[in-house]
Amino acid sequence: MKVVSVSENTVVVLFEQKISQQVAAQVLKLKQLIDAELADYVIDIVPSYASIHLSFNLRKINHQGFVDKLETITDIVLNAAEDDTHDGQQKLIEIPVYYGEEVGLDLHEMTESTGLSIEQIIQMHHQKTYRVFALGFSPGFAFLGSVDQPIAVPRKETPRLSVPKGSLGIAGEQTAIYPFDSPGGWNIIGRTPMNLVDYNQHPPCEFEVGDSIKFNPISKQAYLDLGGEF
Amino acid sequence: MSIKVITPGLSTSVQDLGRPGYYHLGIPLSGGMDRYALRVSNLLVGNDEGAAVLEAAFMGPELLFNKDAIVAVTGAGMLPKVDGEAKSTWASFVIKAGQTLSFDFLTSGARAYIAVSGGIDVPIILGSRSTYTLGALGGFEGRGLAAQDELPINECDISKHTEKSIDESLRNLPQKPGELRFIPGIYWHRITEKSQATFINDTWKVAPEADRIGYRFKGGEALDFVDREQAFGAGSDPSNIVDSCYPYGSIQVPSGSEPIVLHRDAVSGGGYFMVGVVISADMDLIGQLQPNKPSTFVPVTMEEALIARRERKEKLSKVRDFLS
Repeated sequence: MKVVSVSENTVVVLFEQKISQQVAAQVLKLKQLIDAELADYVIDIVPSYASIHLSFNLRKINHQGFVDKLETITDIVLNAAEDDTHDGQQKLIEIPVYYGEEVGLDLHEMTESTGLSIEQIIQMHHQKTYRVFALGFSPGFAFLGSVDQPIAVPRKETPRLSVPKGSLGIAGEQTAIYPFDSPGGWNIIGRTPMNLVDYNQHPPCEFEVGDSIKFNPISKQAYLDLGGEF
Repeated sequence: MSIKVITPGLSTSVQDLGRPGYYHLGIPLSGGMDRYALRVSNLLVGNDEGAAVLEAAFMGPELLFNKDAIVAVTGAGMLPKVDGEAKSTWASFVIKAGQTLSFDFLTSGARAYIAVSGGIDVPIILGSRSTYTLGALGGFEGRGLAAQDELPINECDISKHTEKSIDESLRNLPQKPGELRFIPGIYWHRITEKSQATFINDTWKVAPEADRIGYRFKGGEALDFVDREQAFGAGSDPSNIVDSCYPYGSIQVPSGSEPIVLHRDAVSGGGYFMVGVVISADMDLIGQLQPNKPSTFVPVTMEEALIARRERKEKLSKVRDFLS
């Protein structure tokens, strides 16, 4: 773990560069410590798979002063026993998903690449609880992992120009919902009728890195009743 | 009072100093690309420095005022006209009810900042009035201006205002060629020493893809990577890293070919490495670069970056002193 200065008011903490539950737990632990100790200085804190991006208020602290404080905290995490970096009180968020072929635009294609039936793909996807590893790309887009190997199909070769809002996709071991209509190359297997981002709410999006996400399959009728569209 | 949009220009949106604090949700900073020009335009009309203004890229809008107001235009060389009569940039002037503000062709720079006394009164969403078009967030209905829009303006007393203008030494104008200072970054060591040298010595040109999301540069030699072990979870291209957050001003070089400097509306993260980060003082300058403009990347230390930041701050206090 090291602190790297990237610009006048931005530093990045780099962890071991790989995607793993253990690194993710360390990232979360450090993020929580920073929230508790350095909130007065921090403008934006963005945890990701194996790094934390921090911008801070130069009117309140100078660059070196912030780096010094941050290094004191990273030492605490570094010296913590491994079993000490267990997850704290993270939320479980349940999201209803309609896994029908009308909205699961790539389900059929995936049966060919995986050799599984549509029912098996859906079953394998929703039986697991996922973890939020990172947020970004577009507002409220949460990168969730990890998808079971048999359905961890790579991104599509040609991205779609527009993926409908609410679409649930798979890209390798990652799975995510598109909160808005947007271009995208993930394999789409279903859609949620829920609104994941509301700019008039505080916070505008419920997801936080470290949260657990469970997808609950719903019927076409339930999808429509909840305001889902085709 | 309000302003009616007769023609919107090429790409005109409401911006203030931006929306920090939501980057972790994938909501970018937004706000004016040339923050110096934005602040000065507000100071000229007697607004708070961070009031909402219009940012007009490459071509000005045509705006009809329904009440008297003070206006100032800073940034790009785009001469303002009131009912056809030429006014100056970097100066305040009066516009009367029923008069139309329009613009001459762009002669220098890329983005003009149009401040109106009182400030543009669109709703504050997540702490800012700035428009983030990709996320349909903020500004006027979450989008750039269109003909027939009626922009609400805060009421303010303009009876005591006197027309002012900013001394040339306090205007921020793009140099030729653009020199973009950057701090070599976390992944600088991932390119060969030879590529580090060509990246700095080559003259790059601004590509046509130059907008609020990012500025792409062409014409320099492609970068070679040193051999590496592909990190678990990172993509297979040598320019891939384990997905992480992109700092504001990051210079990413997908596949090593064309550098892209990420600006105010950039996506918050992804899987491309960054050779470094452009210092904040020069991010303003990037917002004023036209396509095809020759530019070079000049490496600086953190110390030098902090000095440049201080200098810009001092320049702004001179503007404040001058106008008060």
